[in-house]
Amino acid sequence: MGLRCYFGGTAIQTLRMAVIPASSSSSRFIFGRPLSKTLTLNSLFLRRNNVNYLTRPPFTLLTKALAATAVQAAPPTETIDRVVKPQWKAAIDFKWIRDNKDAVALNIKNRNSNANLELVLEIYEKMLAVQKEVERLRGERNAVANKMKGKLEPSERQKLIEEGKNLRDGLIMLEEDLLKLSDELQQEAQFIPNMTHPDVPIGEEDRSIVRKMVGCPREFSFPIKDHLQLGKELDLFDFDAAAEVSGSKFYYLKNEAVMLEIGLINWTLSEVMKRGFTPLITPELVRSSVVEKCGFQPRGDNTQVYSVEESDQCLIGTAEIPVGGIHMDSILVESMLPLKYVAFSHCFRTEAGAAGAATRGLYRVHQFSKVEMFILCQPEESESHHEELIKIEEELFSSLGLHYKTIDMASGDLGAPAYRKFDVEAWMPGLGRYGEISSASNCTDYQSRRLGIRYRPSEPTSTNPKMVKGKFTPTRFVHTLNATACAVPRMMICLLENYQQEDGSVIIPEPLRPFMGGLGLIAPKFSRAE
Amino acid sequence: MGLQCFFGGTTIQTLRMAVIPASSSSRFIFGKPLSKTLTLNSLSRRCSSINYLKKPPFTLLIKAFSSTAEQTAPSTESVENRSVVKPQWKAAIDFKWIRDNKDAVALNIKNRNSNANLELVLELYEKMLAVQKEVERLRGERNVVANKMKGKLEPLERQKLVKEGKNLKDGLITLEEDLLKLSDELQQEAQCIPNMTHPDVPIGEEDCSTMRKMVGSPHEFSFPVKDHLQLGKELDLFEFDAAAEVSGSKFYYLKNEAVMLEMALVNWTLSEVMKRGFTPLTTPELVRSSVVEKCGFQPRGENTQVYTVEGSDQCLIGTAEIPVGGIHMDSILAESMLPLKYVAFSHCFRTEAGAAGTATRGLYRVHQFSKVEMFILCQPEESESYHEELIKIEEDLFSSLGLHYKTIDMASGDLGAPAYRKFDVEAWMPGLGRYGEISSASNCTDYQSRRLGIRYRPSESSTNPKKGKGKLAPTKFVHTLNATACAIPRMIICLLENYQQKDGSVVIPVPLRPFIGGLERIAPKFPQDE
Repeated sequence: MGLRCYFGGTAIQTLRMAVIPASSSSSRFIFGRPLSKTLTLNSLFLRRNNVNYLTRPPFTLLTKALAATAVQAAPPTETIDRVVKPQWKAAIDFKWIRDNKDAVALNIKNRNSNANLELVLEIYEKMLAVQKEVERLRGERNAVANKMKGKLEPSERQKLIEEGKNLRDGLIMLEEDLLKLSDELQQEAQFIPNMTHPDVPIGEEDRSIVRKMVGCPREFSFPIKDHLQLGKELDLFDFDAAAEVSGSKFYYLKNEAVMLEIGLINWTLSEVMKRGFTPLITPELVRSSVVEKCGFQPRGDNTQVYSVEESDQCLIGTAEIPVGGIHMDSILVESMLPLKYVAFSHCFRTEAGAAGAATRGLYRVHQFSKVEMFILCQPEESESHHEELIKIEEELFSSLGLHYKTIDMASGDLGAPAYRKFDVEAWMPGLGRYGEISSASNCTDYQSRRLGIRYRPSEPTSTNPKMVKGKFTPTRFVHTLNATACAVPRMMICLLENYQQEDGSVIIPEPLRPFMGGLGLIAPKFSRAE
Repeated sequence: MGLQCFFGGTTIQTLRMAVIPASSSSRFIFGKPLSKTLTLNSLSRRCSSINYLKKPPFTLLIKAFSSTAEQTAPSTESVENRSVVKPQWKAAIDFKWIRDNKDAVALNIKNRNSNANLELVLELYEKMLAVQKEVERLRGERNVVANKMKGKLEPLERQKLVKEGKNLKDGLITLEEDLLKLSDELQQEAQCIPNMTHPDVPIGEEDCSTMRKMVGSPHEFSFPVKDHLQLGKELDLFEFDAAAEVSGSKFYYLKNEAVMLEMALVNWTLSEVMKRGFTPLTTPELVRSSVVEKCGFQPRGENTQVYTVEGSDQCLIGTAEIPVGGIHMDSILAESMLPLKYVAFSHCFRTEAGAAGTATRGLYRVHQFSKVEMFILCQPEESESYHEELIKIEEDLFSSLGLHYKTIDMASGDLGAPAYRKFDVEAWMPGLGRYGEISSASNCTDYQSRRLGIRYRPSESSTNPKKGKGKLAPTKFVHTLNATACAIPRMIICLLENYQQKDGSVVIPVPLRPFIGGLERIAPKFPQDE
């Protein structure tokens, strides 16, 4: 269970107690996630056990202050006051950003991001300067306090008391500034997108590169129907009733479509499990902070996220969010990695702003079933796991006999968390175009720095002889990857439209049949009523 | 698609246009009249008339009560000042029947522990009828005046008539406003009246419930039994701790064989129920709050079980009964389509507000779960036999999984407002050491259909020779029934706790094995790390 830890008035991460379970199976070492990279675990434990933590000034361990004065580079005057206090803090490596400023700036441009790097660096320098000033004042205060330990003239003591009080007042103000700066820095820096793999094509979507093309469009000897018409004739969907009951872009699946959905989920799970993935069924309501930590925006005008009234919970848009969260704020042992999950969930999306986009039938809907793969691994291995994920997707789609292409998405088309993204677009003959059916992203440490997922390398590096006790090596952030195994409605479009027959029936691909009670064909029904 | 129809300023039901589809499974869809005394003809006319605002509402309410407007003065503030929340929709409640069966309704309200205020309902109804009558009278007078003005008149005489007509019009406007308010208030109060109760239902609180049937006996164990939580922990089947962090307490991840067990239970249950002639569905899990209300659930209020979406009128469903009940909302079915038997798979979401302190261990009471639900729409004469059919299906399913259970005829005090009769099944959960509810089968007669506007038209042309054209018999409300086929988490509790073995493994019941890749047993895993 969680324990809220308050930190100079700022609520930081919910902290799990370190519980070493008695049972043998899959015990996890769980520690609290430090507020920032420069806080060590030791300091955190000390802080937690210390009842008087409020009296300890927060940033004592931020020692790498920049050698600059507090007055330099005055930021726009009103910035500090209108900062929305972040509910959580990402472990962003500001020093790395500063030291790689040009690369980060170019990346922001290539990604069409509206992150403000100049502002981030300005606030960072300012924060470091205030930091330094705080250190200086603390030093002086300590000096004064030490002086007061000896025997003193009353007037001398009075003077020191006065001096100490002035120093304390100055410190309180500066520490408040520091907290505000730190909040503002978080807020601005969270906009900075992940870096981009060097092989990713730079530019807009049209720059994306086809990595692979499998099969070719099926030739039909008869006029083809789209999935909506097929679904209507085969009595597979009900969009009209759903529009009344729920709203537009909702639907009921009916008859064989229900069996097809369950067959697809079952088959996909069993195929991916064969490859060593642990199956999961996840919560579909999650705290909005977890949504944010995965790199999604649960608020704002064009949010894709449904929020629950009078609660901090949201409906998930993808199982990536609850699976990403399953190891939140924990330190994994290296031998547990890679962790490979395959999760089934329903997904909910507002599709705000999607009016006018390709929205026919099942293509863009508010609720759908999806089987999602997720990997947590060591940084060195994320590229090879990315290849593994796209290969699994390709194998699945090939064994269903689809014609598709795999695309290395251009920089301008990557979401903030992705370092690289491979999409698969399959041929949908009824719609007469290719449609996205899956997406495989390597998010490197973008999500793990927000979710607080680290691991401890098992090999003691032994370069630091001071850390003998417990021989803990420093922790590192894991890399996370996610990939669609089966987005059910889009797959249903592919299957219905590609496997339609002249007589109006639809053939079920061989691999799915054992998962559909042996059903080989969806045939038109005889009219029951009238 | 829907067309909002405005009615003297009051929004009434979204009205579907009558679309007769070309395909075979056509549904006859008409708008639901505002109240039983409005005929379809009047509604059609009203909608096609552009000047509908000038047509006074309620012209067709001709069964006015023969009493004066002054009689039985209601509590003085009721019409003018009482804060009537305007209902968003109107149930077709049979007020005349309620009045004519006042004593039976009053006794039923008492037996059901309902807080419905029958006296107030009847008072409002009489008052409304009286105002109705007065409105009719004034309209008559106005027409007389209007007719007089058609002839040649002295200017003075005409002036007098104009004045008289104006006074009558002003009086009418005021009265018509009163009528609308009364009608809203009457709806609001009358919607609290519960369904009537089957004569065989035991009267009293839960302890008066009678056992209909008992199958099997508690399994004897030769070793200390574990509860499902402990089994799940040792077999690595659930993750509650991470879910508490990611989502909140009473959320969970299913993991490993528990995922396969859920899929198998869904699949097996669907296939068993489909064999019995039910049409499978998957449903929207976000629905308009009005549909939740029409099914007899309360989406608002302090102790609501319903999650509401922020900035929208949508709710998460607590059971598939809601979207399935809504699938034929506001339509008139052909008799030949009945009975309609559906079996729906959905995820269900419940706040479980107010459930603190009750049996909440592990999977027993959770915020999100998968459920397969049966739903029947039928002719009134047949609902009792379908209720028996539903409980028999449940019993067949639970017996074939080898459970020890009892079927209970729930006492009147334990029935929700929509149920006319309810059979619960409680199965033995050896780890929890008690019986736990695993299913519920309710006959809601016309309670839901009067709210959802689901009617059918008897195919036999009735004996009314006046209705020669189209020989349409009058419509009747269908009866609705719902019953749990499988509530997955409770079933997982039963299976784990009943089929646990001495070695810590759990045997999978034979019928499920074909749906779980032939798996016969969930065995303890070797520790993965450490």
